This record gives sequence, structure tokens and C-alpha cells, in this order.
Amino acid sequence: MTVLKTSMRNFFAHKGRMALSAVAVLLSVAFVCGTLVFTDTMNTTFDKLFQATSSDVQVSAKGSSDTGETTSRTGKPPVLPASVVGEIRTARGVKAAEGTVFSTSVTVVDGDKDKLSPSSGAPTIVGSWNRNDARTMEIASGTAPKGPDQVMVDADTADKHGLEIGDEISVITAVGTHHARVSGTAAFKVTNPGAAIFYLDTRTAQQTLVGRTGVYTNINVTAAAGVTDAQLKKNVTAVLGHDYKVQTAKEVADANQKDVQSFLNVMKYAMLGFAGIAFLVGIFLIINTFSMLVAQRTREIGLMRAIGSSRRQINRSVLVEALLLGVLGSVLGVGAGIGIAVGLMKLMGQMGMHLSTDDLTVAWTTPALGLLLGVVVTVLAAYLPARRAGKVSPMAALRDAGAPADAKAGAVRAVLGLLLTGAGGWSLYVAATADKAKTGSGWLGLGVVLTLIGFVVIGPLLAGGLVRVLGAVLLRIFGPVGRMAERNALRNPRRTGATGAALMIGLALVACLSVVGSSMVASATDQLDKTVGADFIIRSDQENGLVARQAVQAVKGTPGLKRVTEYKWTEAALTTPDGRRLPNTAVMAVDPAYATDVRTETVAGDVRDAYRIDSMSVPEKFADDHGIRLGSTITVAYEDGRTARLTVRAITRSDTLIDAGAMYTSIDTLAKYIPADRMPLDEMVLATAAEGQEAAAYKALKAALHDDFPQLTVRDQTDYKQELKDQVGQLLNMIYGLLALAIIVAVLGVVNTLALSVVERTREIGLMRAIGLSRRQLRRMIRLESVVIAVFGALLGLGLGMSWGATAQQLLAMEGLKILEIPWPTITGVFIGSAFVGLFAALVPAFRAARMNVLNAIATD
Amino acid sequence: MTSAVTITRHGGTGGRTAVAARARQVVKAYGSGETRVVALDHVDVDIARGQFTAIMGPSGSGKSTLMHCLAGLDTVTSGQIYLDETEITGLKDKKLTQLRRDRIGFIFQAFNLLPTLNAIENITLPMDIAGRKPDRAWLDRVVETVGLAGRLKHRPTQLSGGQQQRVAVARALAARPEIIFGDEPTGNLDSRAGAEVLGFLRRSVDELGQTIVMVTHDPVAASYADRVLYLADGRIVDEMYQPTADQVLDRMKDFDARGRTS
Repeated sequence: MTVLKTSMRNFFAHKGRMALSAVAVLLSVAFVCGTLVFTDTMNTTFDKLFQATSSDVQVSAKGSSDTGETTSRTGKPPVLPASVVGEIRTARGVKAAEGTVFSTSVTVVDGDKDKLSPSSGAPTIVGSWNRNDARTMEIASGTAPKGPDQVMVDADTADKHGLEIGDEISVITAVGTHHARVSGTAAFKVTNPGAAIFYLDTRTAQQTLVGRTGVYTNINVTAAAGVTDAQLKKNVTAVLGHDYKVQTAKEVADANQKDVQSFLNVMKYAMLGFAGIAFLVGIFLIINTFSMLVAQRTREIGLMRAIGSSRRQINRSVLVEALLLGVLGSVLGVGAGIGIAVGLMKLMGQMGMHLSTDDLTVAWTTPALGLLLGVVVTVLAAYLPARRAGKVSPMAALRDAGAPADAKAGAVRAVLGLLLTGAGGWSLYVAATADKAKTGSGWLGLGVVLTLIGFVVIGPLLAGGLVRVLGAVLLRIFGPVGRMAERNALRNPRRTGATGAALMIGLALVACLSVVGSSMVASATDQLDKTVGADFIIRSDQENGLVARQAVQAVKGTPGLKRVTEYKWTEAALTTPDGRRLPNTAVMAVDPAYATDVRTETVAGDVRDAYRIDSMSVPEKFADDHGIRLGSTITVAYEDGRTARLTVRAITRSDTLIDAGAMYTSIDTLAKYIPADRMPLDEMVLATAAEGQEAAAYKALKAALHDDFPQLTVRDQTDYKQELKDQVGQLLNMIYGLLALAIIVAVLGVVNTLALSVVERTREIGLMRAIGLSRRQLRRMIRLESVVIAVFGALLGLGLGMSWGATAQQLLAMEGLKILEIPWPTITGVFIGSAFVGLFAALVPAFRAARMNVLNAIATD
Repeated sequence: MTSAVTITRHGGTGGRTAVAARARQVVKAYGSGETRVVALDHVDVDIARGQFTAIMGPSGSGKSTLMHCLAGLDTVTSGQIYLDETEITGLKDKKLTQLRRDRIGFIFQAFNLLPTLNAIENITLPMDIAGRKPDRAWLDRVVETVGLAGRLKHRPTQLSGGQQQRVAVARALAARPEIIFGDEPTGNLDSRAGAEVLGFLRRSVDELGQTIVMVTHDPVAASYADRVLYLADGRIVDEMYQPTADQVLDRMKDFDARGRTS
């Protein structure tokens, strides 16, 4: 009981000193809870949406996907004949059956040819307006579409693009371009997932999307009263046999949900990973705080021991303080986490996905997990300092407290740190020289973990050396103030080491990823230069978008081009010589000129031979895995066609970034096995300009496609490289953004160390002020100390991260990442930035130190 | 003794003795209303240049407060304090800091030295802070006077208490301040080490012409001074020139007895 009371008193007496540790716990817990609440809420929202939109039983063509989405490589949705509706109506328990047509393989533009697709990556859907849609949408203005000239738009899309009744829009599909005017808008009764939806009347939808009437993509079946969905499915199947896909509402919703969930899970675990890093960084902060509190309280603890407290009691009292801190930080963190989730939902609203706070889902596990994590991490982090407190001798009460003795990093630490770092370095070396990606990545992971721990252990020793070097380079110019800053940073290497290490973790990851990212761009650019002969690439902006036949004709008709190559993507079930059957394997089909467009290197055979009739190429890895040699035969069962037996005439190298792992055959071969009406549309089209015509041809191509095919984009090699760079840059920026949390916690750690140091050095500061150190000089001294700590952390982090990045590049060289590119601007930027972070972290501690009353500071108690 | 004694500039060494610092009607009060505590009650005092002045008095008499005010460490409620001809009351922190740095030296009872700096670095610290080069010859002489020549590279933790205080004395002397203030400089030392330090202070007055003001409650320490001021209840109640330890002790006992009977 007394232990609890002393702990409580101590905790509240030092609440200022605990504040930053509490914030660190708060931030990490908030991030975890925010992630969980947000993803749970998204799940709830989509669950509701899918439940609401599915009819009791849905019948669709065999080829369509489980989620009811209707895309195919031909650009037209798979369909079933209208007569099926009549058959279904004869089944028992059917109250109503209604055919619908819809497709996501569409591009919709307004009168100015501006695309009306959502920016969030959600799909654009064009479909028929049916009773099933009327369950989830209500007409907000105007009327439902009637006749070939009318289209109804969902209200959010209309809002966003300023569409009004009477405005003209065009629907571009594989069939052609259909023009219509807006007849009305329909608003969602449930959460709008952000898709852009356009409704036509059924006949128009059939003609626009499929090119003929009398077909549907789906038939929505409603059950009569008292008939379950499962029963209804059974009855419908009994009538239709197994020629069609029959799914209950739950099956469709589950399939949809599975798609969403797998995406959300990736997001969830990525974000939790970053929260974990923040926790790791927070541990350093908490350890430092408790170490300093214990050091400052040495005399007090000595007194407690002298009057009879046992070691365990002292130990426990420190841990109870940590427990209080953990509970406080976590409780606040859970609250903040829910706030973060609501903030994210608002942000999604800005992007077009209107999430309702009514759906805010806080599972009981979320606060429980947050609390558990926060408390356990805090108490674990405080364990070492608590043990040290227990070891304080009763004699400490009698000694002059003064400044705590400089903690010397021990020899054990040196040996252990060197061993760990050495082992880590060796693992990295093994990873860099590994000849199998799989074993190599294991070594890389081990090396990363070992070098990280090694650096943390050895940090205090490195602090001694590095700070001296920094002092010699950086601080000398600041004269005695610089020298004192250096000495202060050095006086407790363990503290400086831990503070720097916290910053090191985040920056090491930044450095590593930036090295890998820029190596990726450099390697890909290099390969593009070396192997790609084509000048232009034409493809759709939509995900899985295709190039319509008319567009290919337009490209072929463009002046100034000497070569146009078509590129198709098909799926087939492969049977390899080792007897394995590989379903849903992608096989590319191209014009033979592709061999000139992309000079694919082979390990055996000539890639041009692969484009002869009934021939193909496979990548080296695939060949190795399945015992394929030149001349081997592979059975290729095309999804929409017949089965071919193709001879392998080329084995391509696997260590490439372009076309990695792709297998090729020619379009002529494909045409032998797939009927013309099921022939897939082009995935992309490559074009090469005639000598000296590059600029003119580029312009002509753009002009040719702009008006009629706004969904297509032409890129020359420069555009393509830039795009690649932008994509990698975007991904990196996103990761940096998430790492910012860990870096913020680390910066809090620097602030914390400085603030506690200032408290600890009250008397010293008073003395210096008394003998004439000006406030400015004092502030500068603290700022310089802070900068030295931050730069120390940055040096360790950047060094470590760059070596990780270089190792990863060496390892990935066998995947084509052949060029190591160190992004010096980023590295230098981070380095300079860390100095500013140091300045920033010192703001408040320096201000408070300068404001300290000289007399209080020097008064002998 | 109903009012503060005004010390005129006569001095034992003749009328030519200039005044290094003076206080005029200095009041220092804490709090307000009923809780108001007056630490200094209209104090007038002149500190003679080139002399060793001791300030004595019981706990709570205001002796430390007086020293802090004279040294520009603390602000006064009313009245003026001059260092030579400069009025320091009302100076902003920046000017005060400069003044302390360039014209005043300090020796505290404990914690005089920065643990991160060695002895010589501590000694030259005020000049380093000011960005001035120490006068080599003077520095050598000071170091020799305090007898630290062999220990200049030692950190404070490697020095004994007496040695640490001698470093502090050396620091105070090295910058050649107009006046040195000592706050119980021997309070933490045993009698032998204390006598050593006091001896140095005395010699620096005699040989180097230094002005020193020292707060103490130790009659033996006070006996090293040229003049002793007695404070009680925030007022200067008496003074004594060329004191001996016994005289000081007697006077103290006297005050003690009077304090108890009145």
C-alpha cells in the first residue's frame, strides 16, 4: 500500500517529466487503435453495402467472377441469353427475376472529353437501371433514363463534375462510343463507396456494353415469402443446371467482402507495422526517462533503503510508476485513436468515399489491445531502470547527491555490441552474395535485425567517438559554448546513445528504402535504354483497361510511324513437361516485331523463334522449375478457346525488370486457338517512329487518340521513365509519411532527454549564469547539444540504412536490380534535416533553461 | 541600534580608499500584504576597494541576500546599488550578465566547478565565455598562488574539496574582476583546507590588491577580513575593523544574548 502511495506521489510530483513519455505511448497506441477502428469501420461499411446491393440470388455467366464484376479480356462482359430469365421464373419459390447488364470496362467522358471517373481508384460502372438498383438508390433529380439518348448519373459524381440535366456525356466501350444526355441523378441510400455509376435503360445498356440485345450479364432473382436464399439457389440450379453461375446474396457479398478485406488487411498490417516501429522508438524514450528519474532520485531511494525498504519494494515502486504512465498514455491513446479514425473517414470523404460515423466500429478488442500494448511496453521499458533503482545502496542517502556520476559504457557492452554488429554484418554479406533470392532474403532480414540491435548496444560507445569527431568538425567554431555542448553530450554516453538510437531507427529505414527505390528507378531506366527499341507505348489509364480495335486502327493510321506492335494478355491452363497443371497462368501474345521493340535477352534459343506458329518462350526460372528445355512442349489450354501444344523455342533471362517472368507467343498462334469474337483486345500497343520523325509522330499520335479515345494515353520513353520515377517516388513518400510517426516519437525523445538534462543540471546552469554566461549563450549551448545528438542519430541511421539498402540491391540484382544508386540528395537532405530537428527539439528546453532563476539554481539547499 | 549604520568612507588605511561597490537604501522584500517578509531593510553600505570585507549574521539575517544583490544575482525591491560608478539596479539581464562576467568574480560554498571541464578550463571559463584571451602571465601567477600547477588537467571529481575550492578561487581571480564575492567559500571544508583557502584570499588582497566580499558565519573565517559587517533582521547593526576570531565570537555571542532577551 505504501509502495503504491509513494509511487503515486512520485508520479504526480514528476508529471512534467513524464509528459513526453506519456505522449510517446499515446501516439503509438493512438496509431494502433486508429488503424483498427478505421479498417473495422471500412469493413462494416462495405459489408452493409454489399448486403444491401445483392439480390437474393444472382445468376450470371460462367466466365464472370465471383464478385459479380463483369470484365473480360475482350472488353465486353460475359453474358447469358435473355431466355434464361423465363426459365428461372419457372423455378419454385421465385417471386421475381430480372435481367441486368453492367460493365466496368468503360470510360465515360463529358462534353469536353474530360474523364468522369473517380480519382480514388474506385471503379466506373455503366449499367441498366433496374428494380434491384432502386433498392439502394433513389432518384434525386430528373427522371430515370429512357431511350437511347438518356443517362442517369449518381449524385456524387454529378456533384463532383458539375453535371446538370441535359449535359452531354459519352460512354466509351469496346463496342464503340455512345452519346447521351443526363436525364437525372440518383443518390445512394447506403454509403457511397466512391464509384462513379451511370445508368442507361436496359436496351441501350445492352447495345452499348455488349453490342446486341437479348443478353444480360446478371439476373437478379427475388425469393417468394418464406423461401430462404439457399433454398432458392437450389431451386434455380435445378431448373438451369450447371451452365450458369448461381450465387446467393451472401455468397456474392462474401466474395466482394473478401476482395475488400484482403486490401484492407494489407493496409492494416502495414500501418500496424509502422505503429510497431513507433513503439520500438518509444521504448528508448521511456527507458531514458526512467533512468534519469532514478538517477535524480538516487538520494531519496538511498534514504528509503536506509530506513528499511527492500530492493523489491524500490523496484516495484518504479514499475508501478511505469504502470501508471502506461495506463494514462494508453487510455488517452485509445481516445486519440478513435479521433484519428474519424479524421481518416473525413479524409476519405474528401476523396469521394462517404463513410458515415454511424458505422464507426470500435470492437472491444481494440481498446483492450491498445491498453495492453501500451502498458506492457511501458512497464517492460521501465524494467531496466527499475532494477537499477533497486541496486541503489543505502549509502547513497549519505553521499552528496551532486550530479549523477558519469555512466561509463562497460566492456561487456562493447564486446556484445561488436559481436552482434559483426554477426549482422556477416549476415548482410552472405545475403549480398547469395545466389538464391529466398535464402538471401532470410539472411538480409537477420542481418538487418542483428546490425540494428548491435548498433543500439554499441551506440553509447559510438557516441563517444562520433560526438568527438562532430565536436572537432562542427562545434569548434562555437568556441567554449560548443566545447561545453560537446562535453555535455558526452557526459552520459548511454543516454546520448539511446536518444540517438531512437532517431536512428526511423532514419535507417528511410535511407534503406530510398536506396532501394532509387536503385530500382536507375536499373529500370538503364534497362529501358538498353533493351527497348519502341518509341511510344499506348495504353488505357483504367486499371485493366484495354485498347479498343478502333484505337489500334487509329494508331496504325498515324503518319510518321514505321512500326506498330500489338500486345495481348491471355490466361490459360498450362501443362508442363513435368506433368504439373498450372491454371490461370498469364501468357502474352504479341506481334513478332516485339522482338525488335524489346530486345529480350535469352539464355537459350532466339526470342524471335518464339513468335513462329505454335511456339513460345518461357523465362529461365520457370524453365528451371518445370524441367523445360528448348524444344519442350507445353500444353496451353486457352480459357476462351481450344487447347494448343506449343514448342518452347526461347528461354529468356529472369534477371530483368522489364517483362520479368513473362512468357510469350505470337498473336498469330493465339488466333489459331481463339475464335475471332473472343479474341482479347490489346493490353497495350507499342509504336516506333520512322527515323527523325519522333517528335512529329508523338504529336500526331496524341492528336489521333485525344478526341475519340480519351481513355488512352501515349507515352514516349521520357514520359515512361518519369512515370516510373513518380510511381516509386509516390510509394516512398507514403512510406516516409508513415515513418514520420516513428521519427516524431524519436524527436520527442530528444526533447525529453534535453528537458530532463536541463533539470538535472540546474545548479550547473545557475553557476554558469552567475559567472557570466548569457542567456543566448546558454540557449546556444543546449541547442548545440541537441544538434549533436540528432546528427549522431542521423549518421548511425543513414550509415546503417544505406548498408541495408545496398545489400538489398545486391540481393535483388538477380531480379534485375542491377544498378546501385545512392540518392545523395535525399541522404544529404535527411542529414541536414536532422540538424534542424535537433534545433527544433531544443527550442523549449533551451527556453526554459534560459528562464531559470539564477539564485534558485545556485542556492545551497 | 534603531537605524542602519551609515558607513562613511574613512577606512583604516586613510581617506584615499576608493569605493568598489555601494548600496543605498536597499530594500528586498518577498511576498506582499500579511505574508510580506523583509530580507533587507533600507541598507546602506560601502565596500572599500582593495579590502577584504566579511558579512556576518545569524541565519535569516539577510546576509546572503545582501551579497546576491550586491553581485547582481538578485534584484532589489527599492534602493540603488552601484558597482564603481555603474548603477546595477535596473539593469537588464543581458547587461547584468556581462557585468558579472567581466567585472565580478564568484566563489560559492559548493558546486563551484563544471564537472565536464578540467581545472584550467574551469579557471578560464569566464574569459572563454567572454571570448577574451586570458593574460598568460597573470594566469600563471594565480595558478601558482593557489598552488594548483600540477593539477590543471584534473577533472573536479579527481580533486579534493579543498583543491576544488582553490580552483574556484583561481577562477575568481583569473579574470581580474573588480570585486570577488564569496558565499561561505569555506563552509564545506575542514579547518585545515578552509585555512588554506582563506589564506589565499587574504594574500590576493594583500599582494594582488583584490577586493573581496565574503558571507560567512564562521568567526575564524571572518578574522581573515579587514572589516566585518554584522547583519540582523535585514539591517546592518554593527561593524568591526581588523577583527580577531575571539573578538568576532564575543560580538556574536553578544548579539545572540541580546536577541534572546529582547
